[in-house]
Amino acid sequence: MIDAILLILESPFIQRAIIGALMIAVVASTSGSFLVFRGLSFMTAGVAHAALGGAALGLFLQASGIAPWFDPMLGALIFAVFVALVTGYAGETGIGEKMEVAVGVSFALSMSLAVFLMYYIPPVQVPSIWGYLVGDLLLLDNLDIVMLSGTALLLLITTILFNKEFIYVSVDMEGSTAHGLNARAYHYLMLITSALAIALATKAVGAILVYAILVAPAAASNELLSSVRGVLVAVFFIALISQFAGIALSLSVRTSPSAVAGILAALSYVIALQIKKMRDRVHIDEELEELLKMDANEAQHVHTESHAHDHEH
Amino acid sequence: MSAPLIEAENLAVRYPDGEIALHHVSFKVESPTFMAIIGPNGSGKSTLLKTILGLMKPMRGHVNLMGYDSEKEHSKIRRLVRYVPQRDRIGLNVPMKVKDVVLMGRLLKKPLPRLASEKDEMIARNALVHVAMEDYWERPFPELSGGQRQRVLVARALAGEGQVLMLDEPLAGTDMESQELIVEALDQYHRDNDVSVIMVTHDLNPIHTLVRDVLMLKNTVVGVGTPCDVMDPALVQKLYGPTAKIVEHSGHRYCLTRDTGADRHD
Repeated sequence: MIDAILLILESPFIQRAIIGALMIAVVASTSGSFLVFRGLSFMTAGVAHAALGGAALGLFLQASGIAPWFDPMLGALIFAVFVALVTGYAGETGIGEKMEVAVGVSFALSMSLAVFLMYYIPPVQVPSIWGYLVGDLLLLDNLDIVMLSGTALLLLITTILFNKEFIYVSVDMEGSTAHGLNARAYHYLMLITSALAIALATKAVGAILVYAILVAPAAASNELLSSVRGVLVAVFFIALISQFAGIALSLSVRTSPSAVAGILAALSYVIALQIKKMRDRVHIDEELEELLKMDANEAQHVHTESHAHDHEH
Repeated sequence: MSAPLIEAENLAVRYPDGEIALHHVSFKVESPTFMAIIGPNGSGKSTLLKTILGLMKPMRGHVNLMGYDSEKEHSKIRRLVRYVPQRDRIGLNVPMKVKDVVLMGRLLKKPLPRLASEKDEMIARNALVHVAMEDYWERPFPELSGGQRQRVLVARALAGEGQVLMLDEPLAGTDMESQELIVEALDQYHRDNDVSVIMVTHDLNPIHTLVRDVLMLKNTVVGVGTPCDVMDPALVQKLYGPTAKIVEHSGHRYCLTRDTGADRHD
């Protein structure tokens, strides 16, 4: 048994999958949590699909011979930053709703471009665009891992250094600016680093599943925990365990590890909602009992006072 | 003599949606003072605060705070000011604790990595005492009631540093207890420290007896003066419409309107 596990762990594609899963958990914990804090979880889906448009552009430029050096991943990163910039511009005043619309529009624009370019890309290459939609942890190559790790670490360092600023910008952009913080710079820094990491994570888990793995654990933790640090740590572990479970299952059953990870991560949110509901039910009993006690004490107090009052007369 | 608290000259500002928020605004208020900016919804009160802070740009004219120009010297202004935005501008998705929110007022003016010292914590705790929220130090901010959240935001301003406190509708949508606590805390703080308070409000009555200067705004200046000066039937009707009335109580004049205080113009 142990020999079998060791044999599996020695295989390079499993090693890459494990490192990839670890890095995606870092991205989920940092970028996923902060996007949920800002009410901007939709940007994850927006950036992931925009990355697909960018990859299509890269494939087109390569296939048509216009720019053979243009790697599809470069296109994905450029488009991801484009979504971050449009979203950031719309949200400079700190209003979440405006940013949601901007994500939607830039997302639609990139996807339309991807579909448009698909007609001009040699049919044999079209499936590699679809690869971005579904992604696969087991198909990552060394370059993917280096890029994903680099960006995840950059995101981690940025978050460690500027977590207070990111929190302030998320909570009160106007107030932070009024107190002298360069809120605009932190606002863009947060969105751009997140976008780069999401675009790279998309290659590993796909545009559809990246939303489940990055956002659902953050939304789940935010429902149940009442400290920023608690949320970041919980997200890391939920994302990591979901992905490891996906990889482990894919070794014994014929299945996509990212899909299993996506299902588990999304379920974490459903479970969190249920736990919250149960917790509220328990709390309401306690609170009602407390109120009843307070009322009784007050009645007792009034009674004693009126008694003393009667006595005086 | 020190520079006036606010000096506006022929100021005109647009809302982000393009509508004109303020026009031909000229007035001067000396410091230190407790000042109220009053007017109906959409009269440009919050816009005036944001323009002073350099968050919005004037189309015409200019406005100075303590002698600093809002456009060219906003970084100096921001060092002087502690600002409390309207409550609905505060995001509730972040699981921040009450202490984090109050400390924010101090840490924002510190250099990176903005670590809270023991002194910072002591001042923050003390500010919470002023608004009777000291028992909520470790409680999650988003779980508080509207009035309690507003009290914490006022504590954030009290804990901060800077000569000018600016509050945008701190009493809107708060319960009676919170209103009284906020008003009392601000009055006390203004009297004990050399700070000016500028408060935007749709309702002057709760702060009538504390305020020294009142600016009546309805996209332009309707009146400037002491509370009793501006509580003139003709002026309040110009501000709030023909249904506004003046009533006298304990030697003071109060204004009765049907204004709700909800103010949105993004």
